[in-house]
Amino acid sequence: MTTLYLDRPSPIHRLNPVTKLVGLLAVVLVVFALPQWWASVAILVLVMVPAAVVSGVGGRLLLVTLILAGPLLLVLIIAQGFFYPGRETILFALGALQFSLEGLLLAVGVGTRTAVLVAASVLLLLTTHPGALMTALTERGMPAKVSYVVSSTLQIIPAFRTRAESILLAQRSRGLRTRGNIVRRVRVLLPLVTPLVLGVFVDVEERSTAMEARAFGSTRSRVSYAVIPDSRGQQFSRWALIVLALAVVVLSFTGVLR
Amino acid sequence: MSSTTAEPNKTRNLIFIILGALVVIATYLYLIIGQPTDIAAGLGPSALIALAGYLIGAILIGVGAIHRLPTNTLVLIPVAIAINIVVGQLTAALGLPFYFDSIGTILVAVVAGPAAGAVTGAFTNVIWGLTLSPLALPFAITAIVIGVLAGYAARIGVFRTYWLPPIAGLVTGVIAALVSAPIAAFIFGGATGGGTGAIVAAFQAFGNSLLASTTLQGLLSDPVDKLITFTVVMLILLALPTRFKQRFPFVRQYNVLPGTKAKKLD
Repeated sequence: MTTLYLDRPSPIHRLNPVTKLVGLLAVVLVVFALPQWWASVAILVLVMVPAAVVSGVGGRLLLVTLILAGPLLLVLIIAQGFFYPGRETILFALGALQFSLEGLLLAVGVGTRTAVLVAASVLLLLTTHPGALMTALTERGMPAKVSYVVSSTLQIIPAFRTRAESILLAQRSRGLRTRGNIVRRVRVLLPLVTPLVLGVFVDVEERSTAMEARAFGSTRSRVSYAVIPDSRGQQFSRWALIVLALAVVVLSFTGVLR
Repeated sequence: MSSTTAEPNKTRNLIFIILGALVVIATYLYLIIGQPTDIAAGLGPSALIALAGYLIGAILIGVGAIHRLPTNTLVLIPVAIAINIVVGQLTAALGLPFYFDSIGTILVAVVAGPAAGAVTGAFTNVIWGLTLSPLALPFAITAIVIGVLAGYAARIGVFRTYWLPPIAGLVTGVIAALVSAPIAAFIFGGATGGGTGAIVAAFQAFGNSLLASTTLQGLLSDPVDKLITFTVVMLILLALPTRFKQRFPFVRQYNVLPGTKAKKLD
């Protein structure tokens, strides 16, 4: 399956995937702990923008973030601006609809927070191959089964999509009409899905036997084929990031930062 | 195949699942009954509690459940996730007004049990998050709930009849809507997609709170979607040859489907 990953020679690409994951978690913790909307904007400008520039995937990051978070922000501003129940300060009115400052602030707060969540996750996905992320996490004790499910699914989906398309063509050539009203189209789904399911479930049994023969179910610890580079500096920064993020959370919950 | 059912650390896995379920339930009760005062603002600690509670709970349940699965069940899961994603996109291509993104989850839950359904649901959202949109990740717990409910429905014999699966789908849809409403309200301020955001806003315009509006929006779309999905899964299972269905130990043990009753010498 087409992942978001873009291969670039940047320092962020070379970081250990776990460091990037911890960075993502720290950023998300901080923006979700701080209720002020400008905290999310500050993180976007001071952390995400420099990271995007250094990573060399800034253009794609901006595009994907806008596609995913843009419509959400727009819907939020329109919906909460006009329909927020606790409105007091009315900025302007369109007929009977009143646009309130309180609604706008809520929309901007939630919207920028979500934008940071999307931007930080997309940056991780643009600079880290899912395979590398899974290997690095497995090295740190994540069950190998998790890694198998994720990696295997990413490889199966393109083959699966090809098979779905060929079944659709085959059934059409036998006279299956895929147009018409909703009831007809729901009924069309069945002669498409049944051969698809039967076909793939038959493959599964062979795969299971082959994997068992290679000790997939074994619970003994394994060595890794691909070694993901790591460094003392990164180890230290991971802990520093965790401590920093937790400190922000604690300060926010105890009321110091609000 | 019988050698693949070995399950070391059984207690540890059970503790993971129970702990995860408790975290999710505690988060849910805090958000629904506690009615945090910052709900009106939509910002503040309740958003973080919603995100952290649901994610940690989902991870604990996912890890605990994945260890309970034998290899021959585990290899079904990538296939089921692919069914979820590809059929979901095929549905969109046919222009149907539904999601149909849980056919694989429910199919696996019915033939391999609640734990398999939970893992399929959780990882569908992980893959969705890795490839299409990270915003799917907080909803992993909803997918887990759908898989678990479908698994237990199959276990008590819902899929032995032709008229119970749509009802079970309706019930699952209602519960799924209730579980995902606080995620939509507290984490995303009610706007999860263009169309649903407009419906949430319409409910708010009638004077409902944000949480009530996302709940009503969910109740409008989820039950119908799950009713049709459960029915489609039942029809797929009817179309599959019995010999094929009898391969699954869960199907034989609980007599899940019509005509798959376990023989005495099994």
